[in-house]
Amino acid sequence: MILFSEIYGVYFRIAAKVLSRESMTEKEITDIITKNGFNDSILFLPQKLLPSGGDWGLLRKSGAGFTPVLKHKPAFIPTRLQKMWLKAMLSDPRINLFLTAEEKAALDQKLADIKPLFLNNHFFYTDRFSDGDDYSNENYIKAFRTILAAVKEKRILNIQFTSGHGRRIAGHFVPLKIEYSPKNDKFRVYCYWLKKGKIINHSIINIGRIDRVNATDRTFARQLSEKSYFAAERCKEPIVVKVTPERNAIERFMLEFASYKKHTDRDLETGVCTVKMWYENQDETEMLIRLLSYGPVLEILGPPAIRKQAAERIAKQKDFTVDSQKIALYNLYSIKKYIGG
Amino acid sequence: MSGYSELIKNFEKTRDYMRDFFIYGFKVRGDFGQKSARTYDDEKRRAESWLGDVLRYDDSIRGRQISISADSGRIFENPLYRAYYSKSFTDNDIKLHFFILDILRDGDTLCLKEIVEAIDARFGTLFEEQTVRNKLKEYVDEGLLKSEKRGKTAFFSICDICCDLPPSLADAIKFFSEAGHFGVVGNSILKAANTKNDIFFIKHNYIVHTLEDILLPDILRAIDEKRSIEFKSFSAKRPNDTEGHDFTAVPLGIFCSVQTGRRYLAAYIPDQRRFHSFRLDKIKKIKLGGVYADHDLIYQKFIKNLPHCFGVSFGSRHDNGHVEPLKITFSIDETTEDHIIRRIEREKRCGIFEKTAENTYTLTLDVFDPNEAMHWVKSFIGRIKSIEGGSEGLRERFYSDMERMYKMYCETE
Repeated sequence: MILFSEIYGVYFRIAAKVLSRESMTEKEITDIITKNGFNDSILFLPQKLLPSGGDWGLLRKSGAGFTPVLKHKPAFIPTRLQKMWLKAMLSDPRINLFLTAEEKAALDQKLADIKPLFLNNHFFYTDRFSDGDDYSNENYIKAFRTILAAVKEKRILNIQFTSGHGRRIAGHFVPLKIEYSPKNDKFRVYCYWLKKGKIINHSIINIGRIDRVNATDRTFARQLSEKSYFAAERCKEPIVVKVTPERNAIERFMLEFASYKKHTDRDLETGVCTVKMWYENQDETEMLIRLLSYGPVLEILGPPAIRKQAAERIAKQKDFTVDSQKIALYNLYSIKKYIGG
Repeated sequence: MSGYSELIKNFEKTRDYMRDFFIYGFKVRGDFGQKSARTYDDEKRRAESWLGDVLRYDDSIRGRQISISADSGRIFENPLYRAYYSKSFTDNDIKLHFFILDILRDGDTLCLKEIVEAIDARFGTLFEEQTVRNKLKEYVDEGLLKSEKRGKTAFFSICDICCDLPPSLADAIKFFSEAGHFGVVGNSILKAANTKNDIFFIKHNYIVHTLEDILLPDILRAIDEKRSIEFKSFSAKRPNDTEGHDFTAVPLGIFCSVQTGRRYLAAYIPDQRRFHSFRLDKIKKIKLGGVYADHDLIYQKFIKNLPHCFGVSFGSRHDNGHVEPLKITFSIDETTEDHIIRRIEREKRCGIFEKTAENTYTLTLDVFDPNEAMHWVKSFIGRIKSIEGGSEGLRERFYSDMERMYKMYCETE
């Protein structure tokens, strides 16, 4: 059982695609390579697929094109590794969102003699939030499945939910994509909010906050583009930070913020990195507190509004710090007085 | 660049380069000093070939910086999975793959000799029996073929073919291939079934973890079989550590941090009689060792210790070490800042959170390494009334950090 094996590789996959056709031209073969291969595959693969003397002998010349030498079209035979992965997936509580009890039992039966690739107790999440969604709740499962089906069909949903600020909201929404956060252990759905069939706003709804969701009999006819949706969610200006090498901050920062799109410049003499980072507007406060947690080894340079928010928090902290240092000094004074120092 | 191939034999070297391109993004050719220039050129070209659509180039005075620039929360497929699809192979490997499976698709159960003859008859290629035997054995191990003994002779047949993925299962695979462990395996199922994720985004998505997955099968096997492992661990703090240190340890689990982007091997080091966490991205060359006799006892202690780990550190104490409490007092306006109370409740981990006075709350952490909590504590800057416990050094650093930050942000405005 090997994870890094050619049987899952791009070349085997392209060969299988080519061999699935009855016959094809050289152009069709190169198109398959271009579409499914790496950028350089076109330099290596054609001479191996097309009869050329040094080829793999998988195709033969036939009229103006080529036909496979195989009797059968290649089929997908799941490997043991893939079955072990599926078996492990069955023991994840989130599987309930996708498979019914009957579907789960049937797959489990099919994989009866397979060991799971991993067990949930092999992994320990050290900093996951403790208020994750309840994947065994029937209402949650029902809402999730309704939304999942609607994403695929562009179906308009009637949703009632409670916002993060405790407001009850109800309306018609067309869901675009579903998002999961391993940190929050929650699912959210990105929607367009509709009124009289027209888009009036974007809305991000935590599935765990949905009180009621019903599919309508209408689908949204217009083209939905996640690109334009998420472009509108993106910050106008990137956040700019200066990270120093002190306390291994660059390594820590680069890893922690690896999931963000960013651009880094490093000062050769000091090793200080200046990083521009793009984020979504909804994450601004989260960004701010995560950056502040680096202390003085990271400085927020801009945009000015975010730097100002950081400065306000630090100024407020200064008041507390002075107070607590006063207490510490008083305690020290009391101890010294007590021991006669 | 003669002899360049976009396919590779060894994942380990590529793993380092891909990680550096992705994580740092500011390195130029000269920064990969320990490797030859030729190696760098080949690895760079491979990255370009595999990841052309997510690569970014920036010219600096030091040379061209190459980086993998992706907003991991807004992609449907982890681009680093492509590294797993680049294993090199021989001409015979691919020929035998399609020929053997084609012969056995007729539905027959055949022995080695019959398979060799059938390949010759159908495809006009005569392979040595040994070559075919090795491939058959490999495919039985991989689960593509079944074998049964009839007398002394092994007979082979094909395993079940998957015709179509039912929609609900396909949706589950789409999700778990991006959000689950070993997602690349799920992704390989989607690829084989000619489908792809077009529904789920993963926020706080550390796509680089997939490069460490290559180590996990050996580690998980050692955990299940209660065995020790030998490996090399390299320093995270010294980038020039090319030698690493050899360790023999008993693996107990994988620590996953969903906030810092790091994963660790949690293990017991018998020689030092202590638990330790090793960064997975800094581990290489794992070898399985023998069964560790005291595994059950050590595992019980490990589980007992977990509530005293704020993150992954077991501190510098031995396996029965004492715990040093850290007490943080927060100022929270009860009438308007309920969201802060809820935030601490969900993020406090092993801490005890209680109201101690009007608008004043205290979190007490009984942890092995109070230093580990300070990164998180500082995310509450603006409402930390006091820090007590921990070490004197910890408290001094906190107050000095606040002073430095004040100068940095408030005295320059």
